[in-house]
Amino acid sequence: MIEVNDVRKHFELRDKKTRKKKRIDAVRGVSFRVSPGEIYGLLGPNGAGKSTTMRMMAGLMRPDSGSISICGISVTDHPEQARKKIGYLSTDLNVYGRFTPREYLSLFGEFQGLDHRVAEKRAFHLLERLQLSDFADVRMQGFSTGQKQKVGIVRALLHDPEVVIFDEPTTGLDVLTAKTVLDLLHVMKAEGRTVIISSHVMPMVEEVCDRVGIIFDGCLHGDASPRHVLDQWNVRTLDEVFFSLAATEEVA
Amino acid sequence: MRGALLIFKKELMEFSKDRRTMFFTLLMPLILYTVLFSIMAKLNRRNDEELKKHPSRIALVDPDGLIAPLLKTPGSKFEIVAPPQGDVSKAILAQKLELQVVVEPNAAVKRSRQEPVTLTVTRDQSEGASVLAYDRLEEVLKASDTRIVAERLASLHAPAALVVPTHLVPVDAGDQGRAVTKALGAFLPYLVMMMMLQGAIQHGIYTTTGEKERGTLLSLLSTALPRRQIIWGKLLYTFTMGVVSALINILSVAMSYALLAQPAAKSGNTSALSDPLVLLLAFVLMVPLGLLFSNLILLVGVWSKNSAEAGSGLAPLTFTVLILGVFMMSPGVDKMSLLPYLPVVNVSLAIRKLFSQQANTFEYLLAMTMTFGIAACLTWMSTRLLNREEALFRA
Repeated sequence: MIEVNDVRKHFELRDKKTRKKKRIDAVRGVSFRVSPGEIYGLLGPNGAGKSTTMRMMAGLMRPDSGSISICGISVTDHPEQARKKIGYLSTDLNVYGRFTPREYLSLFGEFQGLDHRVAEKRAFHLLERLQLSDFADVRMQGFSTGQKQKVGIVRALLHDPEVVIFDEPTTGLDVLTAKTVLDLLHVMKAEGRTVIISSHVMPMVEEVCDRVGIIFDGCLHGDASPRHVLDQWNVRTLDEVFFSLAATEEVA
Repeated sequence: MRGALLIFKKELMEFSKDRRTMFFTLLMPLILYTVLFSIMAKLNRRNDEELKKHPSRIALVDPDGLIAPLLKTPGSKFEIVAPPQGDVSKAILAQKLELQVVVEPNAAVKRSRQEPVTLTVTRDQSEGASVLAYDRLEEVLKASDTRIVAERLASLHAPAALVVPTHLVPVDAGDQGRAVTKALGAFLPYLVMMMMLQGAIQHGIYTTTGEKERGTLLSLLSTALPRRQIIWGKLLYTFTMGVVSALINILSVAMSYALLAQPAAKSGNTSALSDPLVLLLAFVLMVPLGLLFSNLILLVGVWSKNSAEAGSGLAPLTFTVLILGVFMMSPGVDKMSLLPYLPVVNVSLAIRKLFSQQANTFEYLLAMTMTFGIAACLTWMSTRLLNREEALFRA
């Protein structure tokens, strides 16, 4: 279970010309709730505030105000406890190229509090599931983006997290690997995990998400099933929702 | 602490998988110093032997022929050459000859009157061959003077002791070996500081800014490990690599030194260098210094966006340590009363005094406490910095 209540976050960037600080409100009062066995899609164009929201949920950033709780644990007050419940994946995250998947995953299993042998066993099982077990003892420096992403997914799921936060999980992946990831999302849903993904690939979102939240300019616009959102905006695809939002912004 | 040890293990695993870095960190210093010192020693020895093989070329201006017979004896180590045309100094600097000896006019008359005869010698003190020629000349003249004085005393029926009113007998409390130890005591802290810093910088940047650049830091931060333990693990690794680098370099210098075996060091009083207590106390003092450096490196490493920025951020530190190290090698610097209160410098001073067998307990403890204190403050700052988003997500 994830509960996000009125979360706000701003950044200050320095203007190179004027040397003055510029305030950017990345997330402006976002609230939503995701239950176990549900896949929630956080949608929005680049710079809308998706990644910042997800980083706050994963305990990597602190919100300026508002609260986030994961399985009843406050992420801001007890980030380490909360992170034990979370499996976080982002396209920003890379793997240690000098390690083999087996070494890398065993080590990360230990970081998450697992015994070395248990971690190694679980890692191999998950690698098999993602058809990567043949590469378990190959150094990752020569891996493709898809292979690295698969290892990243295994790392995120290694400690059997109740909550899975995947930021842009299919970015840069070929169709086959993307399909494997989508299948895995369905499996996680069936296992009763709470899943949040962010994406701007609308067909994928429409296929896997039970509910979606459209985030635009730091604000959440609508929080319903993909079908309901389309009806609400009177459009045929979720892409068109963005266009409508962008048009509204321009008029304002 | 388990988390810190796991991070330490991860860093060591990464290090062990990079053969090139392993070679440059662990093996290269051992090979480099030994080979370099061996070549230098061989060249020196060969140069000395070459010099001793050849006779010294001397231009002699001796109108009365007073000195010439001394230099022309069978088996003489001198070759008399014609005085050069033009500037004598230039000819000596151009190594056309080693010395010019000019005996003053009327030397024979003066000698017969038992007055001192003046010889003007032009030489090049920067050139080994010229110095050797001068020493050879001095030796020949000393033997001749001794003979002349003995003859004069005999003609006066005076005892030989007449011209030796005082007989000096030196008893060495500290011999040449101690001088070597003192010189090493001034040089070793500099070597330790520089090697520790260089070793730690390379690995410290790799493990902090490097992780940011490679996009692996966030995956580490997304685990359940507390951030302070991540910093402690990285600190432990950076510190270990700094100490290992310093120890390997010192070991290499010691090996080279033993191989070359300066006679003074072999025969003399070098007890401070081989005293386990002195070595232990010096090593114990290296611990807080290593922690201090490692903390500074981590602080800059966590803050920097990329390795280039971290490198330029740490350049002032390297420069400061270099200057301080050179300053601490200056003679008489250990007498300055302010130095025991200056961080880093006081560690160098304490190690220097340990090797000079002039250790001061108060100064030693002060250096240790002060360095540990600063290191602890910096650890606290690094941990705080790793929690700051502006450091982690600097664009």
